[in-house]
Amino acid sequence: MRIMFKLTKRLLEKVHARLEQSHPFAFERVGFLLCRSGRLDDGGVVILAHDLHDVADEDYLDDPGVGAMMGPNAIRKALQTSYNRQASMFHVHMHLHRGRPHFSGIDETESAKFVPDFWNVQPYLPHGAIVLSEDSACGKSWIPGLQAPVEISQFSVVGIPMRGI
Amino acid sequence: MKETDRGKLNLDRQSFLGKNSASILDRTRVAIVGLGGGGSHIAQQLGHLGVGEFVLIDPDVVEDTNLNRLVGAKQVDVTGHASKASVAARTIVGVNSRALVWVETKRWQECAVALRSCDAIFGCVDSLGEREQLETAARRYLTPYIDIGMDVHQMSGEFFIGGQVALSMPEGPCLRCMGIIDDRALGLEAQQYGAAGGRPQVVWPNGLLASLAVGFFVQLVSPWHKGLNLPLLLEFDGNSQTVSPSSKLRYLEGRTCPHFAGLSSLGDPFLDIAARSPGRLAQAG
Repeated sequence: MRIMFKLTKRLLEKVHARLEQSHPFAFERVGFLLCRSGRLDDGGVVILAHDLHDVADEDYLDDPGVGAMMGPNAIRKALQTSYNRQASMFHVHMHLHRGRPHFSGIDETESAKFVPDFWNVQPYLPHGAIVLSEDSACGKSWIPGLQAPVEISQFSVVGIPMRGI
Repeated sequence: MKETDRGKLNLDRQSFLGKNSASILDRTRVAIVGLGGGGSHIAQQLGHLGVGEFVLIDPDVVEDTNLNRLVGAKQVDVTGHASKASVAARTIVGVNSRALVWVETKRWQECAVALRSCDAIFGCVDSLGEREQLETAARRYLTPYIDIGMDVHQMSGEFFIGGQVALSMPEGPCLRCMGIIDDRALGLEAQQYGAAGGRPQVVWPNGLLASLAVGFFVQLVSPWHKGLNLPLLLEFDGNSQTVSPSSKLRYLEGRTCPHFAGLSSLGDPFLDIAARSPGRLAQAG
């Protein structure tokens, strides 16, 4: 299944700017992208990012074993936002390098734990997780009805100029 | 020509568009909605540019009154009741045999799902109502929409040719922000529905506006100069033969479009992700 992910240049810049800010104790920042989606003519799905749902400083757990660990409040607020705004939620964080990023082992296991929870509040929508680098991205989407997450095959940044990342 | 290059478009003369411009253009999918006087020019130029994938949508067939401006159409297309979209497909494939072309001879609203995977949509439709709907469909999927419009007005027994090309970018000014569409004009159009008759159209303003639209597109996907400041609205005065950035632009600078704001303006409002996928478009044979 083909999954396209689209976001505007302005939003990508906003996300980069926020995720690159230092946190009082966590090594990195995380957030969620509020998204809507639609079917493609080949049966694939296009995900359309609208805005960044920030994770507040106090909602991180102090866990030096990982780059950032969200506390229960962070998850609860994201679930509430998904419910209130009928939004697909895509967890986002950043690896500080250039080139295509990859999910770390912890990214894989943690996202597999919490992303499907969004189906408790929006069962008919795709949700997912994204890793950004300085100039690229990778991601996975959990699609209703499918057991395993699907790799996002294309990221498009909509702006002048248009570009794929 | 090497055997492996057979059928491949040689784009050496446009390599200034960027080191990877040929592959970028080849991977780009565009939709052209309306393949009449304006859209046929756009299809022809994008074919020459090396755009790799096309979705061509127009429900109309070629009529004898179209031959004064429908680029690529022939007398035989009139007698053979060829669709305008298939004529454009023939023109494109005649230049770039590797191009993938999907032809739809329905109203675009009946196959709008095909627009969702496009990198840009060209709108070459006649009515303001259709243009507003098409722009809305483009905005829903964060797709740049390039709109062209041309008109001939009669005043005091004289004719005036005018037109515009607008680039409607997600989050940027829309056709309403630019003053191209407003409720009054939509109301007037609705009152005149069915009584308009054949509107005057000629080939050269269509060609000029189409060329400007293609210029917008190239600056969007493969800009040849980093410092280019793209004017989002160009106005054409056909009587003085001039094109200029609209004076309205200075009032729009830095403003966010209020007409397509909010999460609910994105995506399919009736999405049922578990439902069966819509049918794939048929490729031009």
